[in-house]
Amino acid sequence: MEVKLDKQYPLDVDAARAWALLTDLKAVAGCMPGAEITEQISETSYKGGVKVKVGPAVAQFGGTVDVIEAVADERKMVLRGKGADKGGSSASMDLTAIITADPTNPAHCVLNGQAAVIVNGKFAQFGGRMMVQVSDMLLAQFVENFRQTALTLPVLAGSAQAGAAASVSSAASTSSTAAAPAPAIAPVVAREINGLAIFWALLKSWVGSLFGKRA
Amino acid sequence: MNAPVQTAEARELALAGMGASRLRKEDARFIQGKGNYVDDIKMPGMLHMDIVRSPIAHGRILKINKEAALAIPGVHAVLTAEDLKPLKLHWMPTLAGDVAAVLADGKVHFQMQEVAIVIADDRYIAADAVEAVEIEYEELPVVLDPYAALQPGAPVIREDLAGKTEGAHGKREHHNHIFTWDAGDKAAADAAFDKAEVTVSQHMYYPRVHPCPLETCGCVASFDPVRGDLTTYITSQAPHVVRTVVSMLSGIPESKVRIVSPDIGGGFGNKVGIYPGYVCAIVASIVLGRPVKWVEDRIENISSTAFARDYHMDGELAATADGKITGLRVNVVADHGAFDACADPTKFPAGMFHIVSGSYDIPAAHASVKGVYTNKAPGGVSYRCSFRVTEAVYLIERMVDVLAQKLNMDKAEIRAKNFIKKEQFPYRSAFGFDFDSGDYQTALDKVLDAVDYKGLRAEQAAKRADPNSPTLMGIGLVTFTEVVGAGPSKICDILGVGMFDSCEIRIHPTGSAIARMGTITQGQGHQTTYAQIIATELGIPSEVIQVEEGDTSTAPYGLGTYGSRSTPVAGAAIALAARKIHAKARKIAAHMLEVNENDLDWEVDRFKVKGDDSKYKTMADVAWQAYHQPPEGMEPGLEAVHYYDPPNFTFPFGIYLCVVDIDRATGETKVRRFYALDDCGTRINPMIIEGQIHGGLTEGFAVAMGQQMPFDAQGNLLGNTLMDYFLPTFVETPHWETDHTVTPSPHHPLGAKGVAESPHVGSIPTFTSAVVDAFSHLGVTHLDMPHNAFRTWKALREHGAAL
Repeated sequence: MEVKLDKQYPLDVDAARAWALLTDLKAVAGCMPGAEITEQISETSYKGGVKVKVGPAVAQFGGTVDVIEAVADERKMVLRGKGADKGGSSASMDLTAIITADPTNPAHCVLNGQAAVIVNGKFAQFGGRMMVQVSDMLLAQFVENFRQTALTLPVLAGSAQAGAAASVSSAASTSSTAAAPAPAIAPVVAREINGLAIFWALLKSWVGSLFGKRA
Repeated sequence: MNAPVQTAEARELALAGMGASRLRKEDARFIQGKGNYVDDIKMPGMLHMDIVRSPIAHGRILKINKEAALAIPGVHAVLTAEDLKPLKLHWMPTLAGDVAAVLADGKVHFQMQEVAIVIADDRYIAADAVEAVEIEYEELPVVLDPYAALQPGAPVIREDLAGKTEGAHGKREHHNHIFTWDAGDKAAADAAFDKAEVTVSQHMYYPRVHPCPLETCGCVASFDPVRGDLTTYITSQAPHVVRTVVSMLSGIPESKVRIVSPDIGGGFGNKVGIYPGYVCAIVASIVLGRPVKWVEDRIENISSTAFARDYHMDGELAATADGKITGLRVNVVADHGAFDACADPTKFPAGMFHIVSGSYDIPAAHASVKGVYTNKAPGGVSYRCSFRVTEAVYLIERMVDVLAQKLNMDKAEIRAKNFIKKEQFPYRSAFGFDFDSGDYQTALDKVLDAVDYKGLRAEQAAKRADPNSPTLMGIGLVTFTEVVGAGPSKICDILGVGMFDSCEIRIHPTGSAIARMGTITQGQGHQTTYAQIIATELGIPSEVIQVEEGDTSTAPYGLGTYGSRSTPVAGAAIALAARKIHAKARKIAAHMLEVNENDLDWEVDRFKVKGDDSKYKTMADVAWQAYHQPPEGMEPGLEAVHYYDPPNFTFPFGIYLCVVDIDRATGETKVRRFYALDDCGTRINPMIIEGQIHGGLTEGFAVAMGQQMPFDAQGNLLGNTLMDYFLPTFVETPHWETDHTVTPSPHHPLGAKGVAESPHVGSIPTFTSAVVDAFSHLGVTHLDMPHNAFRTWKALREHGAAL
């Protein structure tokens, strides 16, 4: 089962900080609900896991993430993730993420994500019809975590003033200017996917779609 | 000693023999929940097995780590192909002359393929341990389309067959090619097309579906290490064949192998084959010396046990301008999945597909079927039909409709024009079948009158003339002939065993009886109907006749129940065994009445002295005498065994008509009327026949309107739960009207032809015929199944008919 995603998320974070976060794979993984990097195998290769909890069912995917390409000039990152869980499912994802500056507001940027996700086994069989919606929800949670974490980073030289951004962020109470350098980025998020929240959001979007609203 | 005088009619009624709508003897225990299915069987010390299955459709196994699973308390063993290798049981032969992996040997070929087994104290521990077995795969490119599989550069599915250019059915042309099977006369068919005034052709896909019986497959294997014998309770439609195969595979003498098919919750072809789960449970029991139970769940059943159909078909008809068919050509690409595990008689890799000339007198015909490997589960069984007959009937009935449309002829008229006429029977078809008997025109007229066909066509014309009509109306008509009762052992065998069947009858001293059979009921009601045959043949009330099947240690050897063969083959064995007893009984009665055998008449339940009604002996009197004081020189007892090898198949037929109304806004199809006339020759229990027809029509409705096994590009099966896989309930099932004519088979001792599968075979093309008919005025000649609302709605949009 293959799902292709192409999403743009406007963020109230300047492009430099967003890119700084994107290049720290460990921190990025921390923004993915339930995901975690456990080991660095090489310069571009990591071992990690994702734990998905929906109701009483827990699926634990273990696998690898490889950085295929990281182009600083274009603020472009290409990743390939592969994993399997013990319950008979496997998944792989090719992800291209690009940070583009918002021309009208230097304190803002846009996170562009293109992903091709292939899922096999039980996940594909049971979850097939929900894949797109679930992926949307996961990404939305990821982006929110990404935004909050990016806002905790120090404003880098040459980037736009951070004042406006900080004022809208609820997580900005941890002073952004005093934050530690990149390797110590601490994701400010829960470690597990909140299954109930996903379910609720899915239900809302489904009911919405019944009445012609685009989710 | 003689009972009060009763008329012969009254006595006959009391027997509840052939022709009586006797209530099913089986039902008392089923409706009380007292059936005894495989999963009901519990044995002391019994362990439970579960199977680790592949999540991917094609890949290499890099590593299997059992440690975590073995560490779970209550786990007794985890076995993989490596463990079966020393026993040479990691591969097994299939019924189709191929081999299939019992447990994946280095490579997985389809999603949900068996990779390892876990044996544990209970089912729950086993399921937990399955998740603890860690397997690393290297994914390989997946081939799902059989046409793509035959391309030169296609991935190799069966590496174990590398270099094997000769298969079980002739030359293999490609690494994913299994066989090409031809029937008929190609030159004659080609000549008919060269001379034809009109030709039509149509491509159609008969989707992969699954029989999906209510009870899934499973077994309880119990090897006794002291006695050295093996008893296995198993969900099998052919327990005797299983015994032979188990003996051959395990090396245990057949006399020490006992296979029991207890109550079976539906088979429909799904329970003919031998599955890895059975083999593994038996091996586990032998290794551990304890009983081992394996029962698959629904997802495993739909995903890995035998599917049906999956035929990509191209049909062509040649005809005269006035609609007389002169030639038929058929080309099929058959998707067999990863192993060729079709259940067909050995010499027929495409089963009886060559019944594809149908009920029509077609002088020249040729069919070619190409079997192909893909990354899907193996199977290709007869889902409630005789071997591949459903596919054949679908093709010819669709083609006749397509031809009628091209010639602007009515579909009833073109059929009548091409029928094999009543006086042409016995009729040899262009494919070499000898049709035993038939009267198609009488049956067709009966149906057209019953439904007021002309009135329906007038109504349809009026609806078509109204642009605001909310529905499209379609009328489907099918006039099919089946070939069942396999089969004559000179041409039909399974693993070398001829496809006869058998019956043993013992009359007890007090006049009751037991009959044991080589077949096995799975809902057909054998315990009821078989007793009725004996009742009529021997004059014993069916109520006191016990019928037992399914235990290979007590029943005579038989090939089992599938392909509508129980009545045509085993039913004949019953009649002939009974007639052996009858002949002996006559001798005893003559002795008792002190007359010559020739001076006796048989009447319902007794031998009478000719011309003197007061002098008679009933069968019960004779039975007592047979055990008490048989005539001098005669062996005591009253019993017989008969093995019946049919001289020919039987050819039941039917005329089905269906009216549908398709909602132009939603694409939903409402079956307004379905009229099914069946001719199965002599009718043994009309009530059971009607029940069988209702069941077959409902399963036909399921296939035509909703059943399918969709795969995504990676080979994930997206329809393996009952949430996705359509199993109609009373809510969805339309009302059925049934009717019959009786054209007995001349070669069958009872004249009976078999019936349970006709309604499935015949109804499926009837639904398609009706749905396509609704679109025919828009130039549509064919729509593939399933005719679910979404697909039909898309067709409405495509042809500008949607509201």
